[in-house]
Amino acid sequence: MSFSAFLFYVLAAILLVSAVRVVSARQPVHAALSLVLAFFTMAALWITLGAEFLGLALVVIYVGAVMVLFLFVLMMLDVRQTDQTPRWKRHLMPSLLVGAVMLAEIVLLIVKGVKTKAALPENATSMENTRELGKLLFEDYLYPLELVAVLLLVGMIAAIVLTYRQSRFVKRQEPAEQIAVNRDDRLRVVSMPAETETEDAPVHSLERSPEKTGGH
Amino acid sequence: MPGLEPTLTHYLLLAAALLVISVVGIIANRRNVLVLLMAVELVLLSANLNFVAFSAYFDDLSGQVMTMFVLATAAVESAVGLALLILLFRRRGNVAVQTLDVMKG
Amino acid sequence: MMLALIPLLPLFAALFAGFFGRRAPRDWSHWVCCAAVGFSFILSAFVLYEVAFLWPSLGTQSENVTLYTWLDLGSTKLTIGFLIDPLSALMMVVVTLVSFLVHVYTIGYMKDDPGYARFFSYIAFFTFSMLMLVMSDNFLQMFFGWEGVGLASYLLIGFWYTRPSATKAGMKAFLMNRVGDFGFIVGIGLLFAVLGTLNFAEIFARVDELQGLDVSLWPGLEWSLLTVACICLFIGAMGKSAQVPLHTWLPDSMEGPTPISALIHAATMVTAGIFMVARMSPVFEGSDTALSFMIIIGATTAISMALLGLVQNDIKRVVAYSTLSQLGYMTVALGASAYSAAIFHLMTHAFFKALLFLAAGSVIIALHHEQDLRKMGGLRHRMPITYWTALIGAWALAGLPPFSGFFSKEPIIEAARFAEVTGHAYAYWALTLGVFLTACYTFRMIFLAFHGAPRYGEASHGKHKSHKASHKEQHAAHHEPPKESPKVVTIPLIVLAICSVLAGILFATPVLFGDYFGTAIRGDYVAHPAMAILHAEWHGVISYLLHAFLTPPLWLALAGIATAWYFTLSAPTAAGKLAHMLGAVYGVLKNHFYIDALYERVIVRGTHSLSLWFVRGGERFWSEGVLVQGTARLVQWAAQSLRYLQTGYLYHYAFAMALGLVVLMTWWGMK
Repeated sequence: MSFSAFLFYVLAAILLVSAVRVVSARQPVHAALSLVLAFFTMAALWITLGAEFLGLALVVIYVGAVMVLFLFVLMMLDVRQTDQTPRWKRHLMPSLLVGAVMLAEIVLLIVKGVKTKAALPENATSMENTRELGKLLFEDYLYPLELVAVLLLVGMIAAIVLTYRQSRFVKRQEPAEQIAVNRDDRLRVVSMPAETETEDAPVHSLERSPEKTGGH
Repeated sequence: MPGLEPTLTHYLLLAAALLVISVVGIIANRRNVLVLLMAVELVLLSANLNFVAFSAYFDDLSGQVMTMFVLATAAVESAVGLALLILLFRRRGNVAVQTLDVMKG
Repeated sequence: MMLALIPLLPLFAALFAGFFGRRAPRDWSHWVCCAAVGFSFILSAFVLYEVAFLWPSLGTQSENVTLYTWLDLGSTKLTIGFLIDPLSALMMVVVTLVSFLVHVYTIGYMKDDPGYARFFSYIAFFTFSMLMLVMSDNFLQMFFGWEGVGLASYLLIGFWYTRPSATKAGMKAFLMNRVGDFGFIVGIGLLFAVLGTLNFAEIFARVDELQGLDVSLWPGLEWSLLTVACICLFIGAMGKSAQVPLHTWLPDSMEGPTPISALIHAATMVTAGIFMVARMSPVFEGSDTALSFMIIIGATTAISMALLGLVQNDIKRVVAYSTLSQLGYMTVALGASAYSAAIFHLMTHAFFKALLFLAAGSVIIALHHEQDLRKMGGLRHRMPITYWTALIGAWALAGLPPFSGFFSKEPIIEAARFAEVTGHAYAYWALTLGVFLTACYTFRMIFLAFHGAPRYGEASHGKHKSHKASHKEQHAAHHEPPKESPKVVTIPLIVLAICSVLAGILFATPVLFGDYFGTAIRGDYVAHPAMAILHAEWHGVISYLLHAFLTPPLWLALAGIATAWYFTLSAPTAAGKLAHMLGAVYGVLKNHFYIDALYERVIVRGTHSLSLWFVRGGERFWSEGVLVQGTARLVQWAAQSLRYLQTGYLYHYAFAMALGLVVLMTWWGMK
């Protein structure tokens, strides 16, 4: 067994164990950290497959950004796992059963479907990988790339809009409203007939009049 | 049966195992939506592993480009998912999956 | 294009009168309608002139004008087109002429009616439909016209829609016609199913293909397809032309205004059935069974309806029953393969029957809507023009030489005698007896209305049917003696009287025995030799007139007149005594052979109880209980059961998705 094969088995074992830990950890933080481990392992696996740019990108993006986001959220939420329910209850069995059947079928499909016995090539051209990927990405897949960029932007805006809470205590100017004001909003000119003396004009009518006489 | 040297089959089987683990996690998880999101990340990761393995097998970098796209999309998904999660927490005070039964018929 | 104008002018006039007539000045309606129909008559006359005088030299037999293809089904094309041949040209002239005269007459008759414009709209529409019917070159267009005239008839019978009896009569006419129309459309469908075409010319050309084909009415009973088709078509004709037993609507249709009775229920529409059979003569010739069916039905109608005519006291009903009887004559002529005789009788009948109806209408107006013969009498001196024209009409109807009825009725009787289909002997005797009865009831009407002492003064005051005049005016008018109707009424009478006198003498030779019809009517003169025998015996009009004195019908007619004179003028009480003596027979006649009662008992009540059964069993239980509410309950039950599936829990949905994934993978794995 070559070193790369050995490496593969070790990494695969770590990956599977960490994956199991992700879904079965009692504390979400443990799950998140297991996921970080899984990402790391996956990055290593990819590098053995010659996709070192992707492996590094996975570490940077996922471990560096996404998982940190997860952890932040975890802390923000302050979820206390009171955990009255037993961890695995009766619903675990059907889940495992479905999982087993699914696994069996996929394994069957793969074993029956994939005929090749050739070992995957080692990472021969490590420098070339990144360059070639860049070429491909910015030449052949330029438009999909732009689309993904826009998708990221949309996702960012969506996340901000969803979670943004306007504080009630902030006072701020509204320049748009200030500019859009016109004369009639500020000043009302009232046309009034000249007051004439009538004998039994009710006195209280004068008392009500400031509304009429006074403009704003 | 595959031999000891890691071939395409090995990688595919590994991805399948990863997929099944995360799917079981999605189904069985009753407590935390956050863990659910993590399991979804794992599902996407297993798909990415397939892409990369095929890319190496066919010596064609298009698979890796796809992986890039999937990664980006997954990042967006987790960002929006976490935002929703925060909204959910604000509204209900917890994120337990088993209490989310507003849609019950 | 000129041809298209003939039906379209009345249509436009109808639309004008219908939509704008109420708002426009009153006389616009009649000017527009009369002008349109009059112009259409002139065009038709021109067509007839062309057909009769120009075509023989050119050798043209018929002209098929296709205006418009409105449905193209690949092998089948449905078109609007005109088949112009001597038959349709003649019918066009008859229809437009009578219609024009009735339009003119209506100006006077309906003068005070609030529905003036509506009436003109309807009769112009009727003219349009009838022209579409007679001019059509295919079955579908003919059916359109057929239904159009039925609709016009319905609208006009129920014209005074505030009278329950009028609306009921309209419904009755419509429903009875539906029975006939069902037969008609089944017949059309049969021919279409076998030949794949609705065009007359193509059907006639391929009629031989039908020979020998059988159709299974029900398992074990095979009939010749031609016979079934012909009988179905003839059932349509029976409905439209009011043959026994589908005749009961026609007497009731007299609820409509008199001009309508003249135009639709005497002169034109009811002859549509006769026309249709004549048009289909090549098809009918192929089936002896259908011919004999027709001859028997026709003869039965002719004799039974004439008997009923004897006991009627309503002047319009007498004329209505005479119409029925005369339609029976025409049907016998069709059954005897004497198509030209049928058409000729149709034409002369249109003239003299329209004349009689209009004369009756004239009397009715003069007596302020009094229709009872027993309250008339002595009008001879008061209304000389009406009297003389009515008398001419009566002579023509009775078949006295040299009036037109003689020339058309005699050949029919002779044809029945010489025909060889089953039932011809019955038809011959029935028709001969019918001559006596016809003369008898016709002159009974004439004598009662115009001769003797006036009885209209005695009329009770409560029974007026006048609509416009207030009670006071009626009262005043009642004491004025009846006077002659205005010119718009009398001129149509005079024109029709002239036609009734001259049509026979002038047209008998060419239409009956000449080659006027050419190939438009194709009799099989070898198998059905009646017309050929008549033709061989024909030596011109004069000798035919002289010959009449040697045959029984003339003497029977004279005897009928004498009988009528005896019972009405000479010994008025004798009729009552006779009725008393023959109480049972009189009762049967008074009740129209109980046919109406039978329909009421069996069909109306039967339908009613069947409907009730369907309401209870079908509607309440099945439709409402099982289908409507059952569906609702089923959905409710299903929803109640299925709602437990929607738990709202994310993991249940995820589980379902995973399960679905497994199923899909299994599916693909199996493949």
